Amino acid sequence: MILFNGEIINTKAINLEEKYIDSLYDRCVETLNQPVQITRGQVIGACDRLYHRVMAGEFNEYIWPLLTVADISYERFREMAELFSREELEYKCRVELGEWTEPLADLKCGISRRVCPLGILLHIAAGNVDGLPAYSVIEGLLAGNINILKLPAGDSGFSVKLLSELVKEEPALAEYIYVFDVPSTETATLRKLAEVADAVVVWGGDEAVNAARHLTDEKTKVIAWGHKLSFAYVTEAVTDEELYGLARHVCETNQVLCSSCQGIYVGTRSPEVVAQTGQRFFEQLKKANAACGKADPGMRGRNSIRIYNDLLEAEEGQTILNDEGVSVHIKSDSRLEISYLFRNVWVKGLPSENIITELKKHKGHLQSCALLCAEEERPLLAELLVKAGLVRITGADMSASESGGAHDGMYPLREYSRIVETGQ
Amino acid sequence: MSYMNKLSSAKNPYDIPGTDELFVRAMRENCQYQYDHCADYRRILDSFSFRPEDLKEYDDLAKLPFIPTLYFKHHSLFSMPPGKILTKATSSGTSGNKSIIGYNFLSLFRDLKMVLRLGFYHHLFSWRPTRYIVFGYEPHRSNQMGMTKTSYGQTLFAPAVSRDYALRYTKEGYKLDLENLKSKFVEFASGRIPVRTIGFPAYTYFLLRQMKEEGIRVKLPEGSMISLGGGWKQFYAEQVSKEDFYALAEEVLGIDDKHIVEFFSAVEHPVLYIDCRHHHFHVPVYARVIIRDVDTLEPVPPGTPGLVNLLTPMIDSVPILSIMTDDLGILHEESCGCGLDTPWLEILGRVGIKDIVTCAAGASEMLKGGEGR
Repeated sequence: MILFNGEIINTKAINLEEKYIDSLYDRCVETLNQPVQITRGQVIGACDRLYHRVMAGEFNEYIWPLLTVADISYERFREMAELFSREELEYKCRVELGEWTEPLADLKCGISRRVCPLGILLHIAAGNVDGLPAYSVIEGLLAGNINILKLPAGDSGFSVKLLSELVKEEPALAEYIYVFDVPSTETATLRKLAEVADAVVVWGGDEAVNAARHLTDEKTKVIAWGHKLSFAYVTEAVTDEELYGLARHVCETNQVLCSSCQGIYVGTRSPEVVAQTGQRFFEQLKKANAACGKADPGMRGRNSIRIYNDLLEAEEGQTILNDEGVSVHIKSDSRLEISYLFRNVWVKGLPSENIITELKKHKGHLQSCALLCAEEERPLLAELLVKAGLVRITGADMSASESGGAHDGMYPLREYSRIVETGQ
Repeated sequence: MSYMNKLSSAKNPYDIPGTDELFVRAMRENCQYQYDHCADYRRILDSFSFRPEDLKEYDDLAKLPFIPTLYFKHHSLFSMPPGKILTKATSSGTSGNKSIIGYNFLSLFRDLKMVLRLGFYHHLFSWRPTRYIVFGYEPHRSNQMGMTKTSYGQTLFAPAVSRDYALRYTKEGYKLDLENLKSKFVEFASGRIPVRTIGFPAYTYFLLRQMKEEGIRVKLPEGSMISLGGGWKQFYAEQVSKEDFYALAEEVLGIDDKHIVEFFSAVEHPVLYIDCRHHHFHVPVYARVIIRDVDTLEPVPPGTPGLVNLLTPMIDSVPILSIMTDDLGILHEESCGCGLDTPWLEILGRVGIKDIVTCAAGASEMLKGGEGR
């Protein structure tokens, strides 16, 4: 199923899709040749009208089954839908673009400046959050780009539906949105799409990002929204309430988000303090687990086997506290690593003077750090973490989202734009 | 090895109650052998303060420390010098690492007796020459996968007129070629020689679905059979219900579900489970199954889902007498209605196979196994 010229077309046979892909470049050039381009106002207007139709329940029949499958509450869905409202989108543009939304002042030598779209974006969407691929396209539209979307494998069709409805709200968008369902293995076809684009926007892990780099030549920019690691940094001053807050966050996100806590660094040289902190956190984790209800049995089973196997392998320097499907692994090294996920947290020592040495190694993979310490320790530790490469210093609720927040330390709308200077 | 041999010679391959005592004895015998000949296994048992002689009665089987298949992926355990190992088999390595299990002559001989006994019981042998369509790997000396070996073995159930493979060996390695098999189905349908398919259910399903979409319908000659084995592997998300699969096979190949048979086995547990006419995997005498709680790893009552722990004393070259699989399953004790009154194992799927992708900033999206932003 593809979206071309605002129409949903069923292309069972791949060669039919190929035909559309072959004509894509000429169509994009045609669009660029037109004197008038779409405006941000048109995009926001279309999104807002669609948002109101969604909120009025027009698509409920379509949305309900998807929510059930993804285990998302209707309330949570309405919160997510709000991201498409005029108010939210305008706020997002103001925060991300700042002065770039206004006509820019000339440089002092008299050269004029303006903000332009990159041109054509290829979005390689990932994952199974329905609607995220469409949201990536809308970000591209807000910056004025023509958008080609490659759907993730096993897409439910929700993104195509959403974007086709958007075109119905604003027919001018038809030639700014193209959706294809090319499998990731069809590299020749993907390369064709990448050749059309000025930039490739890729979502996913290192593997997906590397694949995208291989698809493109030097002339094409790659904008990667890769997978990230997050953790907590605590000192002896951390309170049980704070540890409980962190444990809640671990249980609520099951550690699967980029901003989810994988482990806890304790700012000390003493193995005893690390062990005590691990024990304290374990108590809070059990409490939070009981309050949140247990995780998926399959994941618990997988982790029980892994922990049992760890015991058989009798790895040196590791103590495992393990009960009721949650665990804390107290380790003697300081390596940043992903946890077993689904409520299994590592605890390691990392004295403040080693923060930069240890974490800098993971430069591109760092995202959030919950810093739980005494007020007077905070400024210094935060500064070290920022220098090491972290982009968010948070409280115990590491994944709390604020409207207008940056994405991995960057503003997508700026990434999708360029500054053009014109002399007299 | 007397009890182990005795068990492999049991007349009725499904006489579970009649062999319980023999099974425990054979397990104790095997356990003692492994304990004496495999240092790593002895270390593991010692760490649990468990001794082979602690296996006295049936309930003691659950107390025997099991070894996860994961452990075999990190360590090669052998209880015999390399010279005695006749053949090796590797798991498919769906999750990245492979386990390597070696079999000695006596173990292979016991396995062969088991396959023959079960094959006769389930009427899998035939003198009629047969064409084989294998949804699996073409054998090649570089391929040590247990799956490849067992699917080749299955082409010996009836004399082979031809063998065609979904994964053909080429200069650049294995290539999936379902198109070729599609034309073979069409070609063989017009003949009179029965056709047997063997192998991965996912590939079988993909081809049948493709044939359906393209409007290709054939009626395979009488005596044809579909056999499935090897699990859905990385195509877990595509898995269809058995009923849907049977309906598709009937529609596209003209084979009813009475002529569809499924196998279950594992490199780390080389016991053959063959489904009954109600498509249930009854546990044969060569094995016992314990389902364990996902959190505590303690045994759970029949009918309760949990982790699948498989036991067999049939192999002496490696300590695989009690292994923990990566599968979730249920052991059913209620009558199945096929005539066999012994318990049957239902595999629910792999543990933790959900798409775990951690991603992106911000949002407190609580998307189970999904991506947030």
